[in-house]
Amino acid sequence: MSLERKHIIFWLPIFLVCCIGFTTVLNTAQQVSAVIETKQKVFEAGDTIALNFKLNTPARTQLFLHASFGSTVLDSDTAHYTLPEFVSNKKGVIHYTLLHDSKIILKGTIEVKANATNPVQLESYVGPPSIIAGGTDYTMQVVVPTDIYDNILPDSTAMRLKYQFLDTEKEEGLYSKDMIGWVNIFSYEQSGRLLISSKVRETASKEFSVEVFPSLPEDFQISSQRKHSYADGNQITEFITSVLKDDYGNIVSDGTLVEFKIKDKKGVVLQTQGGTVNGQAIGKILHPDHQDVWEVIAFIPGIAKSNVIQLEYASVLNDFEVKFSNDNREIVVGPLLSFMDQLIPDGAIVALKIKKDKSVETKIKSSSNGIVRFLLKEEFYPSGKYAIKIEALGVQKEFSQTPLK
Amino acid sequence: MKNWNKNIYRSLIISSFLGIVVLILLGIGKTLSYLNTGANRSSMLHLALDKDQAYLPKVTWKDTINPGRPIEKQTLLDIEKDYLNAWYVRQVAYQTNLTSGIDDYYTNSAQQHIIKNLEANKQKDIIVKGTTTNHNLLLDFYSADGQLAVLTDKNVKEYQQIYQKKQLLLETEVQSDYQIMLLLEDGFWRIRHMVKKESQITKDSVQIKKIAKVIGTKIYIDHQEFQIKGINYYPQKSPWDMFGNDFDIDVIAKDLDIMKTMSLNTIRIFVQYEDFGKAAVITEKLQKLRQVLDQAEAKDFKVIITLFDFYGDYSVLDWTLTHRHVEQITSTFKNHEAILAWDIKNEPNLDFESRGQENVVAWLREITKQVKQFDPNHLVTIGWSDIASASILQDEVDFVSFHYYQDIDVFEEVYKGLNTKINKPLVLQEFGVSSSQGLWSPFGVSEKKQADYHKQFQEMIKTNTIHYLSWTLYDFEEVPSSVVGSLPWRKHKQKHFGFIDKEGNKKKAFEFIGSK
Repeated sequence: MSLERKHIIFWLPIFLVCCIGFTTVLNTAQQVSAVIETKQKVFEAGDTIALNFKLNTPARTQLFLHASFGSTVLDSDTAHYTLPEFVSNKKGVIHYTLLHDSKIILKGTIEVKANATNPVQLESYVGPPSIIAGGTDYTMQVVVPTDIYDNILPDSTAMRLKYQFLDTEKEEGLYSKDMIGWVNIFSYEQSGRLLISSKVRETASKEFSVEVFPSLPEDFQISSQRKHSYADGNQITEFITSVLKDDYGNIVSDGTLVEFKIKDKKGVVLQTQGGTVNGQAIGKILHPDHQDVWEVIAFIPGIAKSNVIQLEYASVLNDFEVKFSNDNREIVVGPLLSFMDQLIPDGAIVALKIKKDKSVETKIKSSSNGIVRFLLKEEFYPSGKYAIKIEALGVQKEFSQTPLK
Repeated sequence: MKNWNKNIYRSLIISSFLGIVVLILLGIGKTLSYLNTGANRSSMLHLALDKDQAYLPKVTWKDTINPGRPIEKQTLLDIEKDYLNAWYVRQVAYQTNLTSGIDDYYTNSAQQHIIKNLEANKQKDIIVKGTTTNHNLLLDFYSADGQLAVLTDKNVKEYQQIYQKKQLLLETEVQSDYQIMLLLEDGFWRIRHMVKKESQITKDSVQIKKIAKVIGTKIYIDHQEFQIKGINYYPQKSPWDMFGNDFDIDVIAKDLDIMKTMSLNTIRIFVQYEDFGKAAVITEKLQKLRQVLDQAEAKDFKVIITLFDFYGDYSVLDWTLTHRHVEQITSTFKNHEAILAWDIKNEPNLDFESRGQENVVAWLREITKQVKQFDPNHLVTIGWSDIASASILQDEVDFVSFHYYQDIDVFEEVYKGLNTKINKPLVLQEFGVSSSQGLWSPFGVSEKKQADYHKQFQEMIKTNTIHYLSWTLYDFEEVPSSVVGSLPWRKHKQKHFGFIDKEGNKKKAFEFIGSK
């Protein structure tokens, strides 16, 4: 008996310790655990997504959601969750994590797919907005079909892309891939306007237009037009191009710039330019004021050039009168007479070169009523002998050893 | 007397007049300069946004061949930059629940999804601190007019800390794929669509040329068991600034010779985060580090390099910058034979209180992964300042390092306790005592006592074959305030841990620097 009591004294504390041990074990076993009741794993955007969990013991839990555009946390006492619309309406994989007391009890994923029943929304992008005729340049149409919640429709969505050009009307069926459907539309030989549209299911896009500009112009011809062939420095000569066309006969776009280069007898290069209207460009330039021969060529830099034409300008006068008066200090040039012995129109240039020792001074004046008057003042030209040279309309006259008093 | 008064009045009137004029002129000047401030014209060009990349996760372009059109290098860079900025502004938005910046990097319709989510989070007082660590990009499509691009971003690793009512609720790492459509609007590549997908986890094969390895509780180098017998090393003239202007490789070489005579085989050196250039590591510093490593290799020393010295941010949004820092250093030296291990950070547990343990540990965990990814050849450890912290992240590191400055008499007991708890090599990474007896501490340890301390330690090390690195070779003349604060008695103590004194004489403890 006493032995037994000893045993009891020995075993009782051990038993008690075991009891406490077990209860703590049981307590940890009372940790919240959960299973998901919602069997559906794939939802459609716009569906109400309810995720219900079954807990082994009622507890307040939280659901962490990680979706395409961000993360959020939901709270619930019942472990029944309804996902907010900004999560349930967006396509993509959603990672969820069920938490109790900051501890993870369950993890999983669901997927939201684009809505397949509602009408489609279409976004189309067309570019470049202008291309060149000839069949090597192209524009690209990209179609992005979405559902009403702005979710991309899945790959392999069928779409019809259409375009019209002059008499051609074409339709192409294709399937989307990597979010988009796209097609390259190559230009034809003619220039004009390309109209583009697309359709996915019942939804049609708006009309897009792409300008097909003519291709690069070919070489061309030039001709000249002038009122007369005299070098009077007064009338205007026009250079006119033939109609500039590309390889396919399209007239080049208005405003294409043509440069005219003129080389005169001395090799000096003059330049004028003009933009095309209806394929023709006109370059204008003043007649020379002395006898000359011009070689003219036109080109569009780096692209096309014309033939070379030659123009001759005849001198309007052979000689003119020069009168000295006032001790040679007043010099009157003229009257300058033109090809019909008429007074030359105002503005003809007369140059006077006055030389003493080594210094030469040039005075330039333009004519008025066929006459130019030079005054050599005493203050500037002290008395002495000067060499005077007068030049007008290509004719030169020299008076050496002219005394000024 | 009357005259005096008059003069006083006069001078008062004149000076007050001058004062008023000065004030009026100042006022006009201020108003004009105020009117001149405000939106700078250059802000229209979005130039200011490009100044500093604040978000630098690892980006790899896996493939840019696409059916649309070949992409230009510049456009690719633009897309990459704007795409990362889009992630960055989104991370900031979820961290602050404000929408600033979102409109620059998401189109109008895409913004709506984020704004709704942010509103909900704001209402429930939820903030999400997140970052992504890597992006593997494939260009699916680039349109002919260069205005639209579709990308796939594979295996995006997202780390997030979710706080509700300022309490940490959850730490999570999600790996997913994304498909993204971007449009070029106003010079920005903006996200138009973004769809998350399940990612297929693929393991990249990495070429491994293990230089050191750990089997069980032992460290091996070239199949030979290796016991670390080492010292924490700073040159005497440049403590805590080893790679600064006073860097002199000849001095370091001489010091290595001194250590060699005492049969030491390892040194531990420190790389300061800011000193090395933060996210853009300075090449010159790397060259200096290489010189040290080459010298160590020549003299048959192994080196433990402690990274991130003086780093203290740890915030989730700063992660990617530290990743770039560590990438540049570790990948440069991944084949260097002299390195034994990368020590991620010195005594990070001291930042637990000020920065939050969860932040520090999460950062360490991720950076450990990053280091192993960039340099699979060397070992990784973390230099905990006490025994209690040593078990943190023990599964992530190759060997566990701890520092011991407590009572020497209980060390053996504590060490044995730790040894049974941790199934990896243990390294006593710092220990020592300051022979600081002097004006600032009249009752401090004398040089004799310091020698006794090291003698006792060496005996324990011998009986238990402990990996050790003592603190430190030299007494220092100057200790920067950033190390122990500016209190003179603290600095004083820190100056006398060495085995060799300021004059270059070997102290009594020198005899016990290593076990011959």
